[in-house]
Amino acid sequence: MNTTLAEKAATPTFSIVMEERKAATVSSAKAVAAKLDFWYGTNQALKNINLSIVENHVTALIGPSGCGKSTFLRCFNRMHDLQADTKYSGSIMLHPENINLVGKEVDPIEVRMRIGMVFQKPNPFPKTVFENVAYGLRLRGFNSRTELAERVEKALRAAAIWDEVKDRLNDSALALSGGQMQRLCIARALATEPEILLFDEPTSALDPIATAKIEELITELRQRVTILIVTHNMQQAARVSDFTAFMYLGELVEVDATSKIFTNPSKKATEDYITGRYG
Amino acid sequence: MDTAVMQVSDPTEPHTSSIVDQSVAGLRLHALEMGALVIEQVAAAVKSLVERDALLAQAVLARDSRVDAYEKQLDRDSLTFIALQQPVANDLRLARAIVRIGRELERAGDEAKKIARFALSLDAANDGDPVLAVGRQLRHMAALSGSMLRNAVRAADEMDPRLARNVLERDAELDAEFAAALRLVMSYVLQDHRFLRPTIDTIFALKGLERIGDHATNIAEQVLYMMGQDRQQADAA
Repeated sequence: MNTTLAEKAATPTFSIVMEERKAATVSSAKAVAAKLDFWYGTNQALKNINLSIVENHVTALIGPSGCGKSTFLRCFNRMHDLQADTKYSGSIMLHPENINLVGKEVDPIEVRMRIGMVFQKPNPFPKTVFENVAYGLRLRGFNSRTELAERVEKALRAAAIWDEVKDRLNDSALALSGGQMQRLCIARALATEPEILLFDEPTSALDPIATAKIEELITELRQRVTILIVTHNMQQAARVSDFTAFMYLGELVEVDATSKIFTNPSKKATEDYITGRYG
Repeated sequence: MDTAVMQVSDPTEPHTSSIVDQSVAGLRLHALEMGALVIEQVAAAVKSLVERDALLAQAVLARDSRVDAYEKQLDRDSLTFIALQQPVANDLRLARAIVRIGRELERAGDEAKKIARFALSLDAANDGDPVLAVGRQLRHMAALSGSMLRNAVRAADEMDPRLARNVLERDAELDAEFAAALRLVMSYVLQDHRFLRPTIDTIFALKGLERIGDHATNIAEQVLYMMGQDRQQADAA
């Protein structure tokens, strides 16, 4: 067991593994926003957003309150359709099928099945733990008890909460702790096997331990799902994301690798914001 | 808010948090104090050598512990700043650059210490001594490396990338001076091997001055790094 890393690196298997890993990290865009504008009535909240969301990676949206980051996030699952007097123009193309998520011809219900969302405050349904996760599956037409049980367990395991709730599946979800409720909501979102998971400040109502668990979960989940996260916590964006997009006044100012943004951003506005010189 | 592409990123611009401002100001202040001390050490060491001033050489040796103490303080304060304030971007670059500048200054201070020791060993002036023969080159190199060090520290003080680039440009000049002085002093040992020991000591003193120029260059690079410009960008500008 005394082989050094250099010796290991010289062995062919090691280099093959590294090559495979490199190949695996070459990813394509899961969704691409192009010339996206959005209006609340006459108020234009998003201006000409062009952004690629890289598949199986975490993209963080940062920016001051009111910059449009949550508005942008909500375009992905058509949350704005629930509000009157809103308008989209431009597109968010979902790959590989090239479906325009904000297109009028696309059914928002269908969009929400493929794109899950987790909110700031944990919002479980006032039902049992099991039924919270089974809900979306039932909507999708799963009725077999064994299949439901299997899928619920899978989702709860993926959300790293199975061990904590496996004996309480028939208890009310509202009896769980805040951190558990949030992971239950993540399990609920994962149950329908979405392709993109949207997180809108998922840890702002949680304590540091629960926050660390959610962050760890996000890091694990990106292997199977593309993640877009809005956060006010700069350190959180730095910790969990691969790419960071900085938005200001409804515009996308800069997007780059997270390591670049937090060490040497290209735009002065980005640097001023992340170093607390904004305003 | 200016969304234009950054030309120069200045970590000394004020923050919303006054605690961050105080941390940054404290780090810079101590780095500059250390810089001033090392500039003084280098000047005194060279003077003690050229003027055979043993008392001055002793003073340089005595003050070296203060240089070391400054380096440790910069190290500690930068680490605290990183741990407590979690700086990013130009604030983070500043925290790292300050540690590196401290290290470069400490090494420049070590060179001054070596020169002062050499000065002390030269109590009996000898007309055939190689250090007297290269006195002009020694003064010249001391002037050049001293000025590079002053400008590097000033560049850090004023966050002046032009001044920093000027230091980088002058390093080749100092190297050429060193090569010329080396040729001259080597001719002594070739004439008479009794000069071997003083010749080696003289070469070390010259090399020390050349190294001080290198440390000044490294400090100038850190100034550019703090401002988000690397050396290639600096060279292109």
